[in-house]
Amino acid sequence: MQFLSSSFVILWVICFALYYLVPKKWQWVILAAASGLFYVIGTGGIPVGLLLTGAGAYACGIYLKRSLAAQGQALSACVEKEKKKTVKQGFERRRKRVQILYFVLGLGILLFTKYMVVLLPFLQNAGLTGLRADAFFARVVMPLGISFYTLTAIGYVVDVGREQCGAQENFLKLLLYLAYFPAITQGPFHRYGKLQEEFERPHVFDYERMLFGVQRFVWGAFKKLVIADRINLFVGSVFGGGGNAAPGSIYALAVVLYMLQLYADFSGYMDMALGVSETFDIILPENFRRPYFSKSVAEFWRRWHITLGTWFKDYVMFSFVMSSAGRKIGKGAKKRWPKMGKHVTGIIGTMFVWLLTGAWHGRTVSYLLWGIYYGVIMCVSLVLEPQYALWREKLHIKESRLNGLFCMARTWVIVFFADVLIRAESLSQAGQIYRSLLLDFRLREGVFDVTSYGLSKYGFLLLAAACLLWLAVSLLEERGKDVRRVLSARPMPVRWGCYYGVVLLLIVTGIYGGSYDTAAFLYQSF
Amino acid sequence: MEEKVLEILEEYCEEALDYTGDNMMEEGVIDSFTVINIVSELEDVFDIEIDAKYVVAENFRNKESIMDLVKRLVDDE
Repeated sequence: MQFLSSSFVILWVICFALYYLVPKKWQWVILAAASGLFYVIGTGGIPVGLLLTGAGAYACGIYLKRSLAAQGQALSACVEKEKKKTVKQGFERRRKRVQILYFVLGLGILLFTKYMVVLLPFLQNAGLTGLRADAFFARVVMPLGISFYTLTAIGYVVDVGREQCGAQENFLKLLLYLAYFPAITQGPFHRYGKLQEEFERPHVFDYERMLFGVQRFVWGAFKKLVIADRINLFVGSVFGGGGNAAPGSIYALAVVLYMLQLYADFSGYMDMALGVSETFDIILPENFRRPYFSKSVAEFWRRWHITLGTWFKDYVMFSFVMSSAGRKIGKGAKKRWPKMGKHVTGIIGTMFVWLLTGAWHGRTVSYLLWGIYYGVIMCVSLVLEPQYALWREKLHIKESRLNGLFCMARTWVIVFFADVLIRAESLSQAGQIYRSLLLDFRLREGVFDVTSYGLSKYGFLLLAAACLLWLAVSLLEERGKDVRRVLSARPMPVRWGCYYGVVLLLIVTGIYGGSYDTAAFLYQSF
Repeated sequence: MEEKVLEILEEYCEEALDYTGDNMMEEGVIDSFTVINIVSELEDVFDIEIDAKYVVAENFRNKESIMDLVKRLVDDE
């Protein structure tokens, strides 16, 4: 079931009505039922993977809780400090083993299922699997939201083990956390402690909040249907051109537009997810903070898919660096290279996280190269950061608007070259695009031919107007203003004029129907 | 102890010394790479082990919260 479908809207409206009608202590049950329906209708199958992941997380949570309680009892029986320390270490070691086991199993199964889809055709050709194996994988093993619920389940187990939240004793409540329907398809990746608090507190109907939620949903649909899907007409045509290579200038425009498409598509989905959730008075974490205003790649990734970055940082990077193996490597490196050795564990952690991020996003070599590209840039820029400060001082470069713009442009260029890798149909096409960009730009030809790639002159004009509106909203947000509040303070004719204007634009200029599947979101494939 | 913590912060993240807010990690004042360096240096200087469970935004809100964390861990040792 997709957000942009009548069945979803019906589910949302019914769930919304029941949610505020039932006694407050049962509100979470309505959300759990809606999430179950969303999942079962969406996949048309039994959520085996979700149930198994949930059962595993539930069992681990209960074990960790009991272990913490037993540790408390054992410690109160000890008098000597040394003895207490030994007892504590013993319990901690056992808890850590359980967390690591769940972590490795969860991530291993996720990566296995992701890559099995690629391996399956080869296995079938070799006669190693039955013909129905792909259907089995698609429905049972590789179901909706597997990335989402696997990572959130791992996060839950680790958080319980780290005593950052209590274990959930109600299996259905834990399932709701793992499969909360506005978030299960693409996130955001929420933290158990915070979301559970949201589910537990009573929610009272509020007209303004409902309006804000719906507005955010419509704004997300606008970004998706008017901007992202319109760009796709051009980008799809350029990259899917088969053997007919376009001039470098057309590729340059296509990649720039793809950067916007990916952002409009994914942040549009997030606006819809957060908007739906807001109508239930459940606040989900923001996943984007206008990343294209970033002045460095590190900042870009702090503003893009924030919750995934935080997940990898908290559960992979810090876990590795602060593990006994990480410490050993760090100490050895410091001894060997007194000056640079301190960076070694950070570099290994960063590269590992970026390789995983690449493997998580896609199943091809291009994605691994994409991960390595960002990992190397991050490591180099972080290690050289103190040096940059010295150079800036020597060259008398001061903080100014111009310098800020230069830094932003530098970030766009870095992202531009990375996006070629993930958008090109193959690694060889990516190579051909890089070559065209550098050696075969043909600007004049590109300008004359730009409308022969699936988007007319009026299509471009409409896209430019929609992007300008988006930019204006983003600039207001960048200045700390909530556009919905700014609008709600305006006189009624202006306010409703804006609301209807966006809805009208969405209806009239959104890309609907035809052979193109409007409902599919780009990030869903990750 | 406070002086030593401040020295480490000065070496790895000078901005943290002037920071007056309470969300250094999420506001980008201190990135994960710097956190790793600071943690490693704190472990060496104070002879403590800082487990990953302590490396969370709450313990790295500002210089005061880092000092509190070190104090707690030194006392536990």
